[in-house]
Amino acid sequence: MNPATSISASIIRKTKLTSEIFSLWVKPENTESNPAPGQFYGIKPPDNADLLLRRPISVADTKNDRLRFIIRVTGKGTAALSRLPAGTKIDILGPLGRPAPLVYNKNVLLCGGGVGIAPLFYLARILAPSNRITTIIGVRRAEDLILVNDFRTLGARVLISTEDGKKGIKGILTDLVPRILDKMAEPVIYACGPREMLKKIDEIAGNLPVWGFLEERMGCGTGICYCCGIRKKTGGYLRICREGPVVNLKEVDL
Amino acid sequence: MLAGVKFRNPVIAASGTFGFGLEYRQIAQKLGGIVTKAITLEPRAGNPMPRIAEVCGGIVNSVGLENPGIQRFKTEILPRLRNLKSRLIVNIAGSKTDEFVQIAEMLEEDQITALELNLSCPNVREGGVLLGQNPKLVKNLTSAVRKRTRKLLIVKLTANFVDPAVTARAAEDSGADAVTVINTLFGLVLDENGQPLLGGRTGGLSGPAIKPFALFCVDRVAAAVKIPVIGCGGIMNGQDAYEFLCAGAKMVQVGTANLITPDRSWKIVRELAVICRLKKSVQFKKVRKARCKK
Repeated sequence: MNPATSISASIIRKTKLTSEIFSLWVKPENTESNPAPGQFYGIKPPDNADLLLRRPISVADTKNDRLRFIIRVTGKGTAALSRLPAGTKIDILGPLGRPAPLVYNKNVLLCGGGVGIAPLFYLARILAPSNRITTIIGVRRAEDLILVNDFRTLGARVLISTEDGKKGIKGILTDLVPRILDKMAEPVIYACGPREMLKKIDEIAGNLPVWGFLEERMGCGTGICYCCGIRKKTGGYLRICREGPVVNLKEVDL
Repeated sequence: MLAGVKFRNPVIAASGTFGFGLEYRQIAQKLGGIVTKAITLEPRAGNPMPRIAEVCGGIVNSVGLENPGIQRFKTEILPRLRNLKSRLIVNIAGSKTDEFVQIAEMLEEDQITALELNLSCPNVREGGVLLGQNPKLVKNLTSAVRKRTRKLLIVKLTANFVDPAVTARAAEDSGADAVTVINTLFGLVLDENGQPLLGGRTGGLSGPAIKPFALFCVDRVAAAVKIPVIGCGGIMNGQDAYEFLCAGAKMVQVGTANLITPDRSWKIVRELAVICRLKKSVQFKKVRKARCKK
């Protein structure tokens, strides 16, 4: 059940990870907010007539009762959030959406394009104790890489693709996927990144299910406005905020 | 009280901003009522993404009446809305009079208090706002549905290139019990390259940006008709709701605010109660009552 009431949370720590990406650790007040990997929060930018709506941001990690959000500045709202100093109170609504299915004793492949790697980190931390994890991180420029060491600390194998070729292999993430999949027995694939990337991974995976973490411009984030759909292969739309954001890519039309 | 029917309080969740009432039943219970997303005769997939854009002081949406159609609404959704403690209003849409009539005839269930005729959706090619711009069509449609339903009949009007006082009178003359004023205003949002941002190209503007115009319309319509006016347009807090009541609305609908936080309408009920008490307004006793119950 999605929460109906928003909660106030204090920004505990803010760190700049790259020129465009920042990380917020927040501490929600009086709540047992316990998100599952794949779920997100609607974060309200500071009061401003231009920024009415919440920004849907996935949980990148948790620690005790604290939440970590890793956010790329893509517009006015995320820019406003990036300017908030530690100590600021923000209004958040969540956890929202359907989480990623969890697996045990499997070979797990995580594919994160750009900032899409963020929600996969929280998933990796939950899956790490009972699965073998391989992570592919794909970025344009080497300086856009985030969380590489964090994944390694979890014991995950990490592969990198950069378009500028300054780290890992030169190319895009999906160049690496076939090679890795060939060597994995019964892999379970989770992917988060641009639609084109998800589409390609789903094609490469053939009959294997791929759990895609989707994003879309959202209105409410809670399933009541029907603004963030993705076409189902069987017709009609799924609400990304409600039936997603984690969906079996075989069921949707990317 | 609206046309002889009691509501718990004067705040209703507007169509399209509270789903079908299933997602947040606990909030729906506490409001005066909820209006469902628009229902059409046949299922509708809706418009392509993106369907929403943020603009200064508001949002522009282009959902395009995505809904499962009347049959599935009746079999899959209505049963789950049984025993709702607040009033259930079903918003109905179509492109021809005949469609409205057919839907109205199929909605005889006791749990439904009212039908709201959507003559004002800006996001569909046929029907929608085109119907609400023509007083003659408003008249024909309202009277046709009136003949087939005993439910409270509300007509949701548009103010896009038409004087809502004229269409409100047409609705009143044809047997409408109330009018909702106003639906969203036409909007076009362009991206940084000058291309339409919304999948449906144009959309409907809502939120605080339209409040002054909506208030103007409520004031104007309330002076033109005797039937109650339900005020709608940019209500974000109790003070906004109070202003609509002062402008002549009997009840209000809250839309955009629900998208920000699902319990926002309930917060508005409580804020409105405090304001009305402060203003010692006896007219709004019911608001106070609703608040005491909590």
